[in-house]
Amino acid sequence: MAAFSLLRAFASKVNLPKNAINQGILVLRSNPNNALQVVRQMSEHRTMHIKPSRWSWNRFKDFMHFYIMLGAIPAALVITYVNLFIGPARLAEIPEGYVPEAHEYFPHPITRWMAKHINKSYQQEYELMCHHIYEVEYEQKLRKAEHRIKQKMAEKQDTQAYYYQPVTSRNERSIRVNTETDIEMSGTN
Amino acid sequence: MEDPPSANGKTNSYAEFMQAVYRTVDRPVTWFREKVVVSNRPDHVYYHQKFRRVPTIDECYTDDLVCRFEAQQQFNRDKLVDSEIVQLVRQRYKECLISEQPDHTRKCAKLMADFQQVSENFCMKYSDLGPLNNVKDAYMKQKHRMLWERRHGKVGTGMKDQDAL
Repeated sequence: MAAFSLLRAFASKVNLPKNAINQGILVLRSNPNNALQVVRQMSEHRTMHIKPSRWSWNRFKDFMHFYIMLGAIPAALVITYVNLFIGPARLAEIPEGYVPEAHEYFPHPITRWMAKHINKSYQQEYELMCHHIYEVEYEQKLRKAEHRIKQKMAEKQDTQAYYYQPVTSRNERSIRVNTETDIEMSGTN
Repeated sequence: MEDPPSANGKTNSYAEFMQAVYRTVDRPVTWFREKVVVSNRPDHVYYHQKFRRVPTIDECYTDDLVCRFEAQQQFNRDKLVDSEIVQLVRQRYKECLISEQPDHTRKCAKLMADFQQVSENFCMKYSDLGPLNNVKDAYMKQKHRMLWERRHGKVGTGMKDQDAL
C-alpha cells in the first residue's frame, strides 16, 4: 500500500500528457531520430463523450428494482405460501356457550391475521363510538342547561350570580415568586 | 363438466377422446392438490357473526343519542341483510326464467309473485330516503305512510278527498 502512494506521487510528476493538461507544462517526447521533440499538448486523443443524461433512466431502474425486489416478489411469495399451505377456513356453526373472537369471523388467513394484530374489531370501534357520543352528549346537555340558567337569570334579574365573576390569583402569585427569584439571582439593573 | 351417463350405453369416441385429453392435465393437478396441498393445511374454521337485538328507534328517548346511534347501526345491518334476501329471491327468479325459457310465464309465476312482494316490502322500508340513510327518516316515512293509509286506504288505490281524515 505504501508502494501505491509512491507510484501515485511518481505518476503525478512524470512528464506525461495527463499531467500536462492540469499543469500546463510542455511534454518532451523522443522521436526515432534521436532528438527530443517538444510537442504542445493542444488536444487529447481522449475527448469528453458528450451524450444526454442517463440520470432519469438510472433512477427508473433503481425504483423498479426497489419495488419489485422488495415489494412485489416478497409479497407474491408470502401470498402464495399462505394460500397453498394454510388455506382459507371453512364455515362452521358457533358451538354452544362459546363467544368467538373477532378474528374468527373471517375466512382468509391474512385477513384473520390482520384482524387479530392490526385492526380494531367491530365491537371495539362500536363501543368507543358509543362512549364518545355519551361524553359529547353530556357536554351538550351541560351547555344547554347553562344557557337556560343564564336566560332565566337575565329574565328575572333576581340573583347576584349573574354579575359574580370568579377570579383566581394563581397566576399573579406565580409571577410574583418568579420575579423575586429573578431579582435574587440576577439583581436589578 | 362431465357429461351425464348415457341412457343406452353407447359411447361417443370423439367425446371420450376429448375427456381423456382433459384428464391428462386434470388428474395430476387434482392429485397434487388433494394429497399434498389440502392434507398439509391446518383445519381451521370461521363463524357467522350474530348480533344481539338492541332497542329500535321507536323505543328510544328523543334526547338519548347513544340509543339513537345503536338503532342506526342496527338499521344499517338490517338493511344489508334485507338487501341480501332480495338478491337471493331475485337470483332464484332469474334462474327459473333462464332454465324454463319458453314456459316462464306459467312455471315461474310463483317466484315472480314472491319477488314482487319481497322487493315491494324492501322499497316500503328503505327506498326514497335520499343518499344519507337515516333511521329517523325511515321511521318518519313509516309514520307518514300509516297516516296516508288511514286517510286514503291502501297505497295504490288512489287519493280520496284531500282533507279527509
